[in-house]
Amino acid sequence: MATDSSVKKKILIIGLPNSGKSQIFNNLTGEYSVVANYPQTTVEIRRSRRELAGEPCEIIDTPGIQGLYTQSRDEVTVRDLIFSEKPHLIIQCLDANRLKQALPLTADLLELGIPFIVALNGIDGTSRAGIWIDSRRLSRLLRVQVVETIAQNGKGTAELLEAIDKARPVSLRAPYPAGVEEGISCIRSMLPDGLSFDRKIALLLLMKDPFIAQYLEKTYSDIDVASLMNKVESIQRGFMGNISMAVSRKQSRWVDGIARDVVQKQIVAHNDLPQKVACFISQPLTGIPVLLMVVYAMFFLIVNVANEITELMDAFLWQPVEHWIGGMVPAGFIHDLLIGEYGVLSLGVANALLTVLPILSVFYLFFNLLEDVGYIANLSIMTKRLLEKFGLSGNAIMPLVLGFGCKTMATLTTRSLASKKERCIAIYLIAFAIPCAAQTGINMSILGRMGLMAFIITFAVLIMAEVIAGVALNKILRGDPKSDFIHELPAIQLPSMKGTFKKTYYRLVWFLKEALPVFVYASLLLFLFDRLGILNELRLLLKPVIEKVLGLPLAMVDAMILCMVRREAAAGMIINLIKSGHLTYVQCIVAVIVTTMFVPCFANTMSMIRELGGKKALMMVGAINMSSFAIGGILNWTLMALIKI
Amino acid sequence: MSNSKREKDEHLERLWYMKEKGQDSLESLETFMEGEFDSNIVDELILDGMVDVGGGNGNIKLTPIGEKCAAKIVRAHRLGERLLYDVFGGEFETGACEFEHIVTEEIIDSICILLGHPRECPHGMRIPEGECCSSSSRTINNLVVPLTELEAGKSAKVAYINYKDERQMHKIDGFQIRPGVTLKLRQRHPCYVIECEGATVAMDEEIVSNIRVWSKESQVEPQKHDVPVTNGKGARGWARLLKFGRGI
Repeated sequence: MATDSSVKKKILIIGLPNSGKSQIFNNLTGEYSVVANYPQTTVEIRRSRRELAGEPCEIIDTPGIQGLYTQSRDEVTVRDLIFSEKPHLIIQCLDANRLKQALPLTADLLELGIPFIVALNGIDGTSRAGIWIDSRRLSRLLRVQVVETIAQNGKGTAELLEAIDKARPVSLRAPYPAGVEEGISCIRSMLPDGLSFDRKIALLLLMKDPFIAQYLEKTYSDIDVASLMNKVESIQRGFMGNISMAVSRKQSRWVDGIARDVVQKQIVAHNDLPQKVACFISQPLTGIPVLLMVVYAMFFLIVNVANEITELMDAFLWQPVEHWIGGMVPAGFIHDLLIGEYGVLSLGVANALLTVLPILSVFYLFFNLLEDVGYIANLSIMTKRLLEKFGLSGNAIMPLVLGFGCKTMATLTTRSLASKKERCIAIYLIAFAIPCAAQTGINMSILGRMGLMAFIITFAVLIMAEVIAGVALNKILRGDPKSDFIHELPAIQLPSMKGTFKKTYYRLVWFLKEALPVFVYASLLLFLFDRLGILNELRLLLKPVIEKVLGLPLAMVDAMILCMVRREAAAGMIINLIKSGHLTYVQCIVAVIVTTMFVPCFANTMSMIRELGGKKALMMVGAINMSSFAIGGILNWTLMALIKI
Repeated sequence: MSNSKREKDEHLERLWYMKEKGQDSLESLETFMEGEFDSNIVDELILDGMVDVGGGNGNIKLTPIGEKCAAKIVRAHRLGERLLYDVFGGEFETGACEFEHIVTEEIIDSICILLGHPRECPHGMRIPEGECCSSSSRTINNLVVPLTELEAGKSAKVAYINYKDERQMHKIDGFQIRPGVTLKLRQRHPCYVIECEGATVAMDEEIVSNIRVWSKESQVEPQKHDVPVTNGKGARGWARLLKFGRGI
């Protein structure tokens, strides 16, 4: 097949959101990209190369799509990828539990004439639900290979590799209603000769796909799109009824027919425990207590397990090393560079490995477990009403919830929101008072040293700040009406311990890879600032704000500089300030709130610039900083006044 | 005479379709009439004050009175289609073609109320509103009710969906929520959650209220779609399931 110069076979993995594409990608490539039990885990296209049957191949993982008719910008990316890169093979990752939802996409892809394989994934789930899918029959009906897989534990990978080798081009041509077929041929005759996928493109034009004209304009400058659209209009006028609806009804009948032939359901009602649990956690009456308990459990684990580990590691690992180096290196420049206040080892390496790593390990383990169960995504139901007050449709829930994991990724997922106003509000709220996973863990660890009340006050203030910001932005920003909220929720499932540990492991490895060097550079930077006297100047400059407004000790300036580089980097320093008695109860709360809200970390800022453009993003960062200092100040005064009473 | 009324109705109906498509030439009326164009009928309609030929420049359009009349005919036709499609589930075009000429306005309003005021015919064309729609009249037991009226935990079969626009249709269709499928309303608060074909979907109340389902009290159940559950094959299914389990 691939006879061109690159001699490379491009394999595209495509499927509905949350159908296990990344898992299949991981299995095929031996790499690891984050998988999770919710839609939109993958926001970017990922590529990996490996040899398959002696041929260099490129395997590409894509964000989920519903079909080739596109609804939002993230779906367009995938369709453009198919149209422009012309892959040699498409693997559709088809979640067996949602066969009917996935078949329209299958129909769309089959029509492209590209060699095609169906990976029937999650068949362990269907058998538990008492559903049996006849994969051989499905294979016969679709005339392509169907491979049964349980991607989560790697089953079916060998068979999939074998199928890749054997895959041949398919030619399934779904006939459309009479008027539509004529319309397609009419439009096709106006498209340039040799245009790939012209039948599909013609159909999408007729169906008034919101992005297809743009694609043609962008890719083929010689096509007269305006006259093409005129023709489309006239065909639509001549058609009795609605073309989109006619095509979609025809497809539905095809889907029903296939499903009827291959699906068998057990008569006795299957286990509906997952639904019952989902109901339980998403009704306010039971869901809010569950949420509070989950948060408390997390807090308890961080304070009683992670903090203990940190202390032990400090006593048994760091102190001997510090002592030993102190004995070897006499006081002076080298001594300070290594283990001084801003030492590369003390503030850089020890801070990352002995303080932050244990906290993150415990936090991620718990968080990944919740993610795997499907709890995090199902939580979205309860917050919907609240979001409406912010002018956000329910669609913004997922990006906001994902913000509790990683703000950078969450900012990128906002591109699934159709309305500009919604995207702006969501990006602002993500950057503002939502603590990311690392920050939440560190905050819990810091506040845990002051007691549960400090934790409650802090998070209550953060929530209030977020609510006020949301309502205010909704009032200030003008824009298009809310988009429709139709959102799929992942099923509640038993967590896979192996998967959870694996994901925690990889997240920690990434943390070390990414953050350890940053920690070291940041401490070096502070060390230099200190030696050159810049740090002192900065402290003097910020003194009025830090001391008078926020009521914090001047040493917090250092922590804030670290914070700008990476959220977690300030942890060690704040914890040391608490230990040495430099932070009081109120100061501790104010410090955590200010460091949580102020300047989004470097990566987050970059993603904001990418999504909004430089000017808007920087304006947002400015606004976030001002409000974080203002809130910190008000809180300081209020708490001080309350304590005096 | 009655024949002339029928022909007049046909002409008015086609003129309405032309208006929907933004056309107003006499030639297009001839095309729309598919060989049944009759200039005498047009003259009669002009005399009745139903149509206006605008000074003989080849244009023809409905007068306000004509529009009112045509709206009634189109409304009857499309509601007829809706009724035949939803209730009997079969071919509806031929039946509905005659339908609009034989029913009275009261019957049409009753059908509209019974079906819960659908906004579009099965082709996706807009059904002109009647007075009953603006007052949202209902009978004691509507055959078709908004999904919002279903109790939590109950299932119902979708009769039709009033889509806001094409995008929304694609979105809802993507979840296989479409006429004929059985949905389960899992919960109503804090937002609507629906189970359909293995997927769980959360939605705005506005969309849920536009999904119309067959109410359980109704005696007339549509026969159109059979449920793909295979009865009586349980044992064989299980045997296969076990075999399949070992095969992996």
